[in-house]
Formats: sequence, structure tokens, C-alpha cells
Amino acid sequence: MNRSNLYNQCCNYHGQRVRITCRGGRVYVGEITRVSRNTVWIRPDNEFGGYGLGFFGEGFGIGFGIALGAITGIVLASAFLW
Amino acid sequence: MANMYLDLLAYFGVGSAHPGGFRLTQSILENEKILPVETVLDVGCGTGQTAAFLAKKFHCQVTAIDKHPIMVEKAEERFKNNNPPIKVIEGDAENLSFADDSFDFAIAESVIVFTNISKTLDELARVLKNTGRMIIIEMVVEPNLPIDLQKEIQNLYGICEVLREEEWISRLHQAGFTKIEMIKTPSTLSPSELQDVNQSENIQSKFYDLWEIHHQFIVQNHHFIGYRVFKCHLSS
Repeated sequence: MNRSNLYNQCCNYHGQRVRITCRGGRVYVGEITRVSRNTVWIRPDNEFGGYGLGFFGEGFGIGFGIALGAITGIVLASAFLW
Repeated sequence: MANMYLDLLAYFGVGSAHPGGFRLTQSILENEKILPVETVLDVGCGTGQTAAFLAKKFHCQVTAIDKHPIMVEKAEERFKNNNPPIKVIEGDAENLSFADDSFDFAIAESVIVFTNISKTLDELARVLKNTGRMIIIEMVVEPNLPIDLQKEIQNLYGICEVLREEEWISRLHQAGFTKIEMIKTPSTLSPSELQDVNQSENIQSKFYDLWEIHHQFIVQNHHFIGYRVFKCHLSS
């Protein structure tokens, strides 16, 4: 997925729980709280970036940022599937 | 024939992409007795999560097949160092490349509905030994399904037929299965947590769009469409 499509997809998933895979295989699961042209912020499920603490982010409970360039895949964290 | 929904599953590489997810797979296999000498066929194995689980839990001889080359590639990647080894084959459930009476146990998880149902059931009955048994998880529509919605399901998922519970049982009987039990599960759909994902890079936007359409369709119509788990035996 090119950067522009990835940005659009992150915007579409704003407010939803997603599973993001980065280069090297690292996986982050959490709710998308903010998207910019270069970065997506997620509030993770686990205690890091903890509720209301604003870890790694400049806002209240914004979570932390992941560079779009580091992302290899994004998908909803839970889904109906056949 | 190309099926865009199955392409979506292959590109996103979601393990246990079926109603109930891997948790349902584990629960239906919990009380199953499969011996290490027995041969098991996982039809439409996808990325191979169930096949790997079967091999690990029962130490049996598992063969996994899938029609989609990307699924086969991802299953091979999973099975690379598997012990016991799992054989993975690119193949068609409607024309299985196995001799008659080859397997003791077969499993198909939301697979048969995407094929010519009668043809696939005939093939599964053929390759199972006459003492063989099979577990299938399949899409089932409710009797009050409006005809326009039926067509929408067929178009959205690229399937030819949608069956009601009693129609599945009848087709299983026609294929030669004599004892058919329904394993009790919640028949309504609920979202599964995706914990096993091997996503391809550069997935086209049209697949994200299709996922969204599929999601909205289920949210709106979940009372018309669900699933059942059937356990079937060739001899009673």
C-alpha cells in the first residue's frame, strides 16, 4: 500500500481498534486517535500509553505515534469473517 | 472463477477466518479423539492455523489443501519447521487429488459454501474411509431470508448457493453421510479478535473497501445469516 492509500485507510479507521504490523514484524493493537500525513497515533490496548497519561504523545490519552513509512500492514483488530 | 472475497482473505492472511474464529476451532476439537496413526485432511486450510493445531494436539498425519496460491504460500511459511510435518497442497475441494478412502478425519471451516456444495461433499465422502468422520463449519441462512438478500449474499461472497440448516443436512445425507450431529454453538455471528495475521504488503484499496461493505452487510443482516457446525459420519 502506498503512503497516500495508507494515510486514507488510517483516516477511515479513525476511532476504531486496529492491528498495525511494522517492518521487522512488530505488531501494535489499539484505537486510532489521530492521523497526520506521516504518522498515525494509536492508544494501545495494553498499559503502555496508559489511559489518560498521554505516553509518547502530546495529548490526553492520545497514545503513541507510528511513522506511516514503518507500517507494512493495517487491519481491523476484530472482525466478522466467513 | 475468481472470488474477490477469498482474495481478500488471502491478502490479509487472517488465520481461522471463519465464524467463531480460532476459539471455536479449539472448542470443537477439544473433545475429539484423533490417533497419531490417523490421517487428517484440512480442506481450505487458509494460512494453516487449524492444520498446525491438529498436528500439535493429536500428533496425527495432517494434509492441508487450499485453492488459493497465496494461502498455500502462507501455510507453507507456517509449516516450514513443523513437527510432525504437515503436507500442504494447492488443490480444489471439488476435485480432490486423493485416492478413495484416504482419510480418517476431515475438517472444513467455512469452505464448502464457497464451492459447488454437492460436488465438494461427494468428494469429501469419497476420500474419507468408511469409518471416517468430518466436521464442517458453514454459513447457514434463516428461513425468512428475503430473495433479494439471498442474491446480495451470493454476489458479495461469490457463492452459488446459500443453504438453510435442513438443506445442509439433506445435502450431507445425499453425499452419503449417515449420522449427522449439530455441535451446539452460538449460531449468531459475533466479531472475532484477529490474533493471527500474515498480511501481504501493498494490498489494493478495493480490498479494504470490500471489507467495509462486508462488515456493513453483516451488521445490517446478521439476523438472516449465521452458521452451524455439523459433525458427520459415513457409517452410523
